[in-house]
Amino acid sequence: MPPLIRLHGAAIGYHGRALLSGIDLEVAPGDFLAIVGPNGGGKTTLLRTLLGVLPLVAGRRDQPASLRVGYVPQRDHVDALWPLTAEDVVIMGRVPLAGAGRRLVAADRERARGALGRVGIGDLAGRPFRTLSGGQRQRTLIARALAADPELLAVDEPTNGMDPAAELTAMDLLRDLHAGGDLAIVMVSHRLEAVANYARALAFADQERGLWRVGPLAGMLTPAALSELYGRAVAVREEGGRRFVYPVGGEGRAP
Amino acid sequence: MSGLAGFWEAREIWREALLASVLSGALLGFLGVWVVLRRTVFVSAALTQISTLGLIGALLLEERLGVAAEHLGVQLAVAIAFSVVGALVLGTMHGARRLPTEAGVGMSYVLAGAFVILGANKLIHVAHDFGSMVFGNAVAVSLSDAMVIAGVTLVCATVHTVFQKELVFVSFDRETAEAMGMRARMWDGLLFFTIGLAIPPAARALGALPVFAFLTIPASAALLLVSRLRPVLAIATVLGVVAAAGGYMLSWIWQIPTGATMVALAGLFVLPGGLLRLVRAS
Repeated sequence: MPPLIRLHGAAIGYHGRALLSGIDLEVAPGDFLAIVGPNGGGKTTLLRTLLGVLPLVAGRRDQPASLRVGYVPQRDHVDALWPLTAEDVVIMGRVPLAGAGRRLVAADRERARGALGRVGIGDLAGRPFRTLSGGQRQRTLIARALAADPELLAVDEPTNGMDPAAELTAMDLLRDLHAGGDLAIVMVSHRLEAVANYARALAFADQERGLWRVGPLAGMLTPAALSELYGRAVAVREEGGRRFVYPVGGEGRAP
Repeated sequence: MSGLAGFWEAREIWREALLASVLSGALLGFLGVWVVLRRTVFVSAALTQISTLGLIGALLLEERLGVAAEHLGVQLAVAIAFSVVGALVLGTMHGARRLPTEAGVGMSYVLAGAFVILGANKLIHVAHDFGSMVFGNAVAVSLSDAMVIAGVTLVCATVHTVFQKELVFVSFDRETAEAMGMRARMWDGLLFFTIGLAIPPAARALGALPVFAFLTIPASAALLLVSRLRPVLAIATVLGVVAAAGGYMLSWIWQIPTGATMVALAGLFVLPGGLLRLVRAS
């Protein structure tokens, strides 16, 4: 299948200054790519550049004009001051599809309610967004992205600030949304362990070391590759069908 | 009753002023919801100063260089141009690496204020009525001024009716709107264009203090009362109208300063919502 979106020899950064260069990346229908790396490593910059929000410093970006993108920001970035219900927030996902100046219709509202149901909070449609818990807000933002009927779902740090149970629930939700369809997911996370059991491909981004790697999960989730990314020895263990990633020893590299 | 009767009998005098006040109250009350929710309250204060600076510039051009700017319409047009450009710059400005957005807004406010004082100091012919010309007095308003405010209200109402969903999305979550293909800068610009357009004619009619008050108090009162956007917009608009009309009438009857009476009355509207929050919190 042809890719939905592609970067060729890209350099990303701000104000013409490259943070990370030599990036080749393709996202095809059905992909589940996790971009991981340390805090400040350039992951969100890469995601925003991939989506065309930030201009490339160098290289080329290809995306069909008709590509439908659903985006889930870090939930702390959304201002809870606004007097909006969960449904009001979700229906925003229909705004780019409706066209400028055109009214949203009953069908858009139905899609918004459907998206809320799909993420398991259909009963919270009328609740003020500001009164929702962190996990419920995250689901609302995912529902908004789904309301856009996306071909590509881009998610920025979906488990930030969550306790382990909520983190698992959020990741399970993304897995369920991805399962058995053509929806492509690109997710940014600094929590490698959170994505190791869900993504099919991994990308490492660390602008401090000028490190950029991308490949299938099996090839990327190795102690050697991870140690290079984090600059210290990292072990990968599988137990009960789940992968665990953890640092070992001191500051030295993995053997 | 005699005060009310006297007020009604004098309606030929206050008709245009009340019309301008009511329209300004409605317009600014509505726009204030956006100003408060966008956390740009001090942008509106800076814009009042910047539009005044434009007016001073027009007066100086006329006095010093003989440029034909004595017509009130020209002065207002220059003030609107300054305000709109200021709104587009300040409203769509995002924090740079070294300075937060607030620093830019604060500097604009104080620098525009300083240049207003310096410019006014150089004016000769209009110095005697400069205060009411620049800051308004909400008492004597011409029909043409009221019509300008009506026209601006119509433009703003049209923009906000047609493009409300885009303005809400971009204002609530700019990052997502951009990622999903919307031209956030353009929508931001449109929103702040309406705010920049509204301030100069309202400031000319009512004065700087009521304009700043109407852009903050009715919206704050409405946000304390209800939790849905459309009711907030409706309540803020109505409160703006009531504060403007009520303040005007009370100031006439009690013979007290008009702008300050409007602001004081608007301040009372925060009490119900504030009390409601206190009761709910306890």
